[in-house]
Amino acid sequence: MRVTADEATNTYAEARAELLARPGAPGAARRRALTALTDDWLHALYVASGAGEIGAALVAVGGLGRGDLAPGSDLDLLLLHNPNVSTAEVNSVADKLWYPVWDAGLRLDHSVRAPAEARRLAAQDIKVVLGLLDARTVVGDDALTKSVRESVLGDWRALAPRRLDELRLGVEERIARSGELAHLLEPDLKESYGGLRDLVALRAVAASWVTDAPVAALAPHRDLLLDVRDALHLVAGRPTDRLLQQEQTAVAQRLDLQGSDPSDSLLRQVSTAGRAVAYAADTTWHRVERLTRRSGVRGGLAATARKLRGTRTDRAPLADGVVVQDGEAVLATEARPERDAVLILRAAAAAAQAGLRLAPHAVDRLARDSAPMPEPWPASARDALVSLLGAGRAAIPVWEALDQADVWSRLIPEWSVVRSAPQRNPVHRFTVDRHLVETAIQSVAHARRVGRPDLLLIGALLHDIGKGRPGDHTDNGITIVQSLAPRMGFSPDDCDILVSLVRNHLLLPETATRRDLDDPATVAGVAAAVETQDVLDLLHALTEADAAATGPAAWSDWKKALIDDLVVRTRHELAGRPQPEAPRTTQAQLKLAEAVRLLSSQGVAVLLDEDEGTSITTVTVAAPDRTGLLSTVAGVLSLHRLQVRGAQVDTITAPDGSRRAVQVWTVTPAYGDPPPVERLREDVTRAVAGSLDVASRLDARDQAYAAPREVAAPRVDLVPGASERATVLEVRAHDAPALLHRVTRAIAAADVTITAARVATLGSEVVDVFYLVDRDGAVLSEARAATVRVTVLGALDPR
Amino acid sequence: MKLVTAIIKPFKLDDVKSALEAYGIHGMTVSEASGYGRQRGHTEVYRGAEYTVDLVPKVRLEVLVEDHDADSVVEVIVKSAQTGRIGDGKVWSVPVDTVARVRTGERGPDAL
Repeated sequence: MRVTADEATNTYAEARAELLARPGAPGAARRRALTALTDDWLHALYVASGAGEIGAALVAVGGLGRGDLAPGSDLDLLLLHNPNVSTAEVNSVADKLWYPVWDAGLRLDHSVRAPAEARRLAAQDIKVVLGLLDARTVVGDDALTKSVRESVLGDWRALAPRRLDELRLGVEERIARSGELAHLLEPDLKESYGGLRDLVALRAVAASWVTDAPVAALAPHRDLLLDVRDALHLVAGRPTDRLLQQEQTAVAQRLDLQGSDPSDSLLRQVSTAGRAVAYAADTTWHRVERLTRRSGVRGGLAATARKLRGTRTDRAPLADGVVVQDGEAVLATEARPERDAVLILRAAAAAAQAGLRLAPHAVDRLARDSAPMPEPWPASARDALVSLLGAGRAAIPVWEALDQADVWSRLIPEWSVVRSAPQRNPVHRFTVDRHLVETAIQSVAHARRVGRPDLLLIGALLHDIGKGRPGDHTDNGITIVQSLAPRMGFSPDDCDILVSLVRNHLLLPETATRRDLDDPATVAGVAAAVETQDVLDLLHALTEADAAATGPAAWSDWKKALIDDLVVRTRHELAGRPQPEAPRTTQAQLKLAEAVRLLSSQGVAVLLDEDEGTSITTVTVAAPDRTGLLSTVAGVLSLHRLQVRGAQVDTITAPDGSRRAVQVWTVTPAYGDPPPVERLREDVTRAVAGSLDVASRLDARDQAYAAPREVAAPRVDLVPGASERATVLEVRAHDAPALLHRVTRAIAAADVTITAARVATLGSEVVDVFYLVDRDGAVLSEARAATVRVTVLGALDPR
Repeated sequence: MKLVTAIIKPFKLDDVKSALEAYGIHGMTVSEASGYGRQRGHTEVYRGAEYTVDLVPKVRLEVLVEDHDADSVVEVIVKSAQTGRIGDGKVWSVPVDTVARVRTGERGPDAL
């Protein structure tokens, strides 16, 4: 019985809807089922179209061709026809095939071609080649499909060096555009490097016969990425491949991922898969480049084969048991990893120092046969690890190669927890383990500045080793390094320094950006924590390397200037010398003097200074003192879209005997140039006089902002012992317009004076610290401080 | 009042114009546009290459009409722009608060 196209479409639509609505995790079986359903439907459409009578084949390419159709996938279809059929006939058949697909609401990528045309297009457009790699006859004359496949693959192999180069350029552009799957918080499962597109590209490389690509070994990773994509399509209800944060929890649940944080486990799995694919792609492309570049213009298989055979005479020694062969580091014939535990690190270091990669077979053999590392590690092993990291950028491919073979988790068991662990903070660019390696590599630049570069590199490698576990990552890290460093063979003194680096790795940036450097307690506290000059230098270098490895949002000239200042002051404190006159203060004092001079009896003075080169602007405001003045000015600055980085507050007596508040603000424009000082002055004057209602202007502006998505609740803490002169209040919250204005308004409402403020913005999170005193300039009583804390909390979280 | 906007195939513009004139609409704004919908950017329906999504040239036509005319005008455009092929376009209408004729300052339906 012949089925009409409409009947077939209705049956398909029902069966498809039923399949997609089935509860439970998606998987390969469902993809096959969806592909089979789709094939049946296309078969019926083909029969109804009369295509069989003109001699044609309906060919599935892309996802449908591979049999892994996702719920939101396009149908990539090619109608191949005999060349001697008239255009009118072909068009009529094609209409009967394509229109039902469009009418069913599915996305269609279609083409109609004679075999010669398909071959010609494949020669012009690499995407056509990639599509035809997976070409599969759904229905019709399979001989047509085979002939096209064979001719296209023949051309592909014949011109492999040039065409692979073209493909590689495309991959590089895609990396620049879509980032790396392994390290993104919101990766694109298809486009990011290490994603589904790269698996297709690897198949194209393998099909060129230039070199093998480990396509089969990547199958489990491919399945995982496809499962995640299926779940994402179902959860999001649209054909997206970008795993956005808002969807991650639902996707993880759809995939039945267990554990306390399923979305964390989802990201970790995606990252692991992306990393394996990216590593395979790296290695494969590296090989392609070696084999095709050197085979010269003539290229072709003969040259490739000559290269692959290689000869003994090519081998040059690199280190004990390690030789260079054909541009890669390989093991020497006499090398015995089963008796030489350090060989694995020595080979890695030698390869990285020479700017080479470790050949995959060398990695396999080292990973499989290496004798277990004795504990404590011999000095040569430590030296080799330091030398590997000290090679800088060149260490990354070597590190990744050994990581794929799971070498690091065996040498350093604690590594397995940070491996591919996602960083739940948009400031970070990399997963935890890669961040650690990046930090070590960044710290190479500071090696000359410190007395013990080896401890700097190892400290950098271990500073965040406590992440990915419950509890505070610094506390975890201390415990880990206390047992790990002795196992690595470090002397007790060196172990203490490494532990101190882990314990204090956030000390300098946090203190510099959140504490008043003029308060003697601040510098004394840092000096007590670091104890020696050497540790201070190591921490200084580690801090810069850590920030550089984190991402552009973690570092600024402003932060650097503060940290440098703190280090100088701490150095004096440790040496027992008096504190130098800090240039920042002198500058501020000059401003104060000028401001006071400018003051008319009731007037408001506003000065604005731009520091060339750092984009930091200083705004000095002098006005009659009253409670809430800080909040008013903060509001005006926010209205002018100036982001506050810090504020220093003083009260002085003007020549006429009245009390004047002088505020020195460090600000950066949110974008563009700072506003003209006249406009700022006018607005501050009006706001102080009460004719500009800052609060309502800000409220009106807030309305224009979309309400933030779910954010963590704000935190307000009192920091005991941070200062002897004032009560220190620390506010952590999700950044929002005029946040500082709201907080300071709340503090003013509690009738408390702010003497200094430090404001730090880290990505979307802010950490504001306020130094508070009562009306008489004394530290707040405990009860008073607690009240202020609650008031501020209330202002932040109106719900 | 309503603003009727139509995205149509460029070669259908003359047909649509005559159909609208026959209906009694004498003013319209026509501009060149490009985009894609379910047609997915294949200019020649059967010669597209896989994965490429290009923008296809279209004509955008805008007509201001009184409320009671809107449905009929949409109908007239749909009928006259139809080829039955993929990529024929879309027509929609949205309410309009105010219209003023610049030369005279007339407001509302008088300004149409």
